[in-house]
Amino acid sequence: MAGVLVLVEHTSGAVDELSLQAVALARQVAAGAPLAALLVGDGGSKAAAQLGPHGVASALVAEDERLAAYAPGAWARCVSDLIDRLDPAAVVAAGTNRGNEVLGHVAARRDLPFAANCVSVSSEAPLTLTRVRWGGSLLEESRVHGPLALLSSAPHMVAAGGLNGAAAPAVESFAPAVDEADLIVQVAEHVDTVATGVSLAEAKVVVSGGRGVGSAEGFGMLEELALLLDAAVGCSRVVTSAGWRPHTDQVGQTGTKVSPDLYIACGISGATQHIAGCKGAKKILAINADAEAPIFASADFAVIGDLTEIVPAITAELRRARSQ
Amino acid sequence: MDLVRLGKPSDRTGDVPRRARNEATIVLGQRKLFQRLGPGLMHAAIFWGFVVLFPTIVIAMIGAVSRDATLPWLGHQGWFALLVDVFAVLVLLGVLAAVWIRKVQRPARFEGSHLGEADVILAMIAGIVTTLVLWHAARIALGLSEWPAGWSPVANALSGFFGDGTATEVLERVFVWAHVLIILGFLAYLPHSKHLHIVTAAFNVYFGRTGPAGRLEPLNFESEDEDDLRFGAGTVPDLTWKQTMDAFSCTECGRCQDVCPAWNTGKDLSPKLLIMGIRDQVFAEGPKLLRDVAGFEPSPLVPNAVPDTSVWDCVTCGACVQECPVSIEHVDHIVDLRRHLVMVESRFPTEAEPMLRDIERASNPWGKAQTERADWAEKLGVRILEPGEPAPEVLYWVGCAASFDERARTAAESTARVLQAAGVDFAILGPRESCTGDPARRMGNEYLFQGHAEQNVSTLNEAGVTKIVASCPHCFNTLGNEYPDFGGAYEVVHHTEMIAELVREGRVKPRNDERSITYHDSCYLARHNDVRSDPRELVAAVGEPVEMERSGKRTFCCGAGGAHMWMEERGGAINEERAREAAETGAETLAVACPFCTVMLDDGVRARGDALRVVDVSTLIAESLEGDGDG
Repeated sequence: MAGVLVLVEHTSGAVDELSLQAVALARQVAAGAPLAALLVGDGGSKAAAQLGPHGVASALVAEDERLAAYAPGAWARCVSDLIDRLDPAAVVAAGTNRGNEVLGHVAARRDLPFAANCVSVSSEAPLTLTRVRWGGSLLEESRVHGPLALLSSAPHMVAAGGLNGAAAPAVESFAPAVDEADLIVQVAEHVDTVATGVSLAEAKVVVSGGRGVGSAEGFGMLEELALLLDAAVGCSRVVTSAGWRPHTDQVGQTGTKVSPDLYIACGISGATQHIAGCKGAKKILAINADAEAPIFASADFAVIGDLTEIVPAITAELRRARSQ
Repeated sequence: MDLVRLGKPSDRTGDVPRRARNEATIVLGQRKLFQRLGPGLMHAAIFWGFVVLFPTIVIAMIGAVSRDATLPWLGHQGWFALLVDVFAVLVLLGVLAAVWIRKVQRPARFEGSHLGEADVILAMIAGIVTTLVLWHAARIALGLSEWPAGWSPVANALSGFFGDGTATEVLERVFVWAHVLIILGFLAYLPHSKHLHIVTAAFNVYFGRTGPAGRLEPLNFESEDEDDLRFGAGTVPDLTWKQTMDAFSCTECGRCQDVCPAWNTGKDLSPKLLIMGIRDQVFAEGPKLLRDVAGFEPSPLVPNAVPDTSVWDCVTCGACVQECPVSIEHVDHIVDLRRHLVMVESRFPTEAEPMLRDIERASNPWGKAQTERADWAEKLGVRILEPGEPAPEVLYWVGCAASFDERARTAAESTARVLQAAGVDFAILGPRESCTGDPARRMGNEYLFQGHAEQNVSTLNEAGVTKIVASCPHCFNTLGNEYPDFGGAYEVVHHTEMIAELVREGRVKPRNDERSITYHDSCYLARHNDVRSDPRELVAAVGEPVEMERSGKRTFCCGAGGAHMWMEERGGAINEERAREAAETGAETLAVACPFCTVMLDDGVRARGDALRVVDVSTLIAESLEGDGDG
């Protein structure tokens, strides 16, 4: 059977974890047939060298100075060129914003079927796949017909396992035939969020504060606890409205939706708008002086009391336990 | 006229009696101007003065051409001369009052208005009446008066200053010509100034909305008529003709700005500046559009005429519309701007995105599971209407907030308890109830709204529902005023109306414990739907009502309307401003009738540290029934 092409995203030479998951999905489709990887942008060759243990036989690095900034049309052009050249059975990308966008372009240009957010695929024709729908609430089984399937892998749903003893892939550069029309949309500017420490959306532990914290200075004790737990600091909407913390720290319907293993809610009453942002947490520990606070309805662990006593006590206990 | 005709269609025919009544009360009666007594009297004096003085323009023009000629009949009437004399004085007093207001009082509502223009106009008005009276005085002195001089007390008194010689003969000519020339100058100046309103306002009031204030005009996505197919307003040609006329009618009086919750809390939005911005852009680009100038592309209204921030600051409370003396419909402008930004440009505050996505995906704005929608009702044994079952007498439409929000839920439980106590046959839809689409619609996502409207109408129609009681004023407004556009015609009442009816019928008997309660009118009840007396009856049934300064039709928003429940607030906090007003009444309880007002004002009270208890009217009633045995 024909091989499979994988679009591999990388950050200045380091392959992205989600793309390694896409490679793993591609291996399921290929079932032994050769895997080719496409890498775009600076550092592509360096990233390509890391793909051997993941079963990639050959890597094609698109080189064109106009590709320095991300441009979905141009990336789709690279994929399309390689489809002509390699005639693969499927093209796989990570189900990232970029991966889905590029495959969307390819699907539209070449009138091909595109299945996003796949979890597993069988290699027999027609391709039978399982994919995530409706924001994770549904798994759909479907068959994809057509000369060539475009698939993206659902983030964190496919394990990116390595293979032992595989050789580094053959790396080859090529110049894609990018024209001006492909560059109509491109990234003009990167704006970094001013974030220190652990990112809120990805943190395993979030220490969050509400009105009960009392002031911007009150967050000092939360930051201290967060530092010990390698946690991010979050807050509720009243806190950002009061100007105690920046909006980027807000957890809730109008802020960031978090899904840590542990969410520690300090002095947060638990308005619906806030719960909408933290309900993805595996466990919620609520500390609040008001035993009637709605947060306790959503919490797995409840501490009723003054957070200015309880939070420092936890911090002290953690320090003591670790020093032993 | 051509610029107005350029506008997109908007049906303003029909309802002629209502339109005539508006014309009589709002224009002739100056009803909306009298919402502020002082400025209202000032304007009415000038307006009524000019209505009475109108024939004198013709009389003066005839008199200017020929000293000895006048209008047949009317020109000889003593009583008319008296009216002219009296109203000329009233107009002058009006002008003096206006100068006083503008130069001494300098109210904040004029911030951003063209004050110089008003000065010119006031000077002209003063000139017109002064020359008129002086002309009459000169004629009396010369013995030319067509009526006995006693009918013109003011002019007669002034005639003493004139002799009967040549000088007066010359002055008589000077006065009449000055009078006529100022009037002509005034007419020439009109189209270039805010004073165009004396022409447009009467029409704008006539063509003002006559239906429910809370209803938004639906967009017809299926339309094959290119003129009718619109996605809100992106550029000048997208405006409806009524919107263009609105822009031409604005007098920059700033009453809208004065009552706007956004402006009052330091946000960018001023309804006045918004309309002025649109007007300026219509004047700048309209002529080119009319001439079809080759290659001319109209520029976007946002941010050229109106900054993005202003568009999103609006809470759709309608205070501006209520206040406007010339029936400008600001909220319709803003929603049309939002519609374009959301549906065409996908440009809106990012924090509102989850709300839109959750309504689309989970049928409620917080993304809660639909299966949990009826959880609150379980312990009360409220009947859930299953498909195929006979419809109850009344369907209780709970709404997302009262179903899911911890604080708002109490109102749903209380309403159900009261209905049960009164023995009302009711049921809820449970998981089959979905968001009415109101926040999506007020946010500008008409497309998402219509999908939900159609789905809900089909559920309700299939269930054979005829009467609905709604807990949320937003649902209440949408179900009652907007669903008829989508084939859903039901008798819709708010829970306060229904409960007040039950109290009047003696089916529930609340007890009065004489605590002081101030009632906060929800915009979508009091202003958009005229529900004001029923909730007050209930408050009076359980306690001692105290009114806030801004109440009834002129209430002040809690800050959640227009999808602001799901947006970040810039500037000061509207809910805290309202909580302050409530606390100042000295009441111990702040009664509300809307789940969003409940959450917003409760937050406001907490933020300020007031001792007020924020509670829904239905809960006050339910609590007063407790311990009554069978209720």
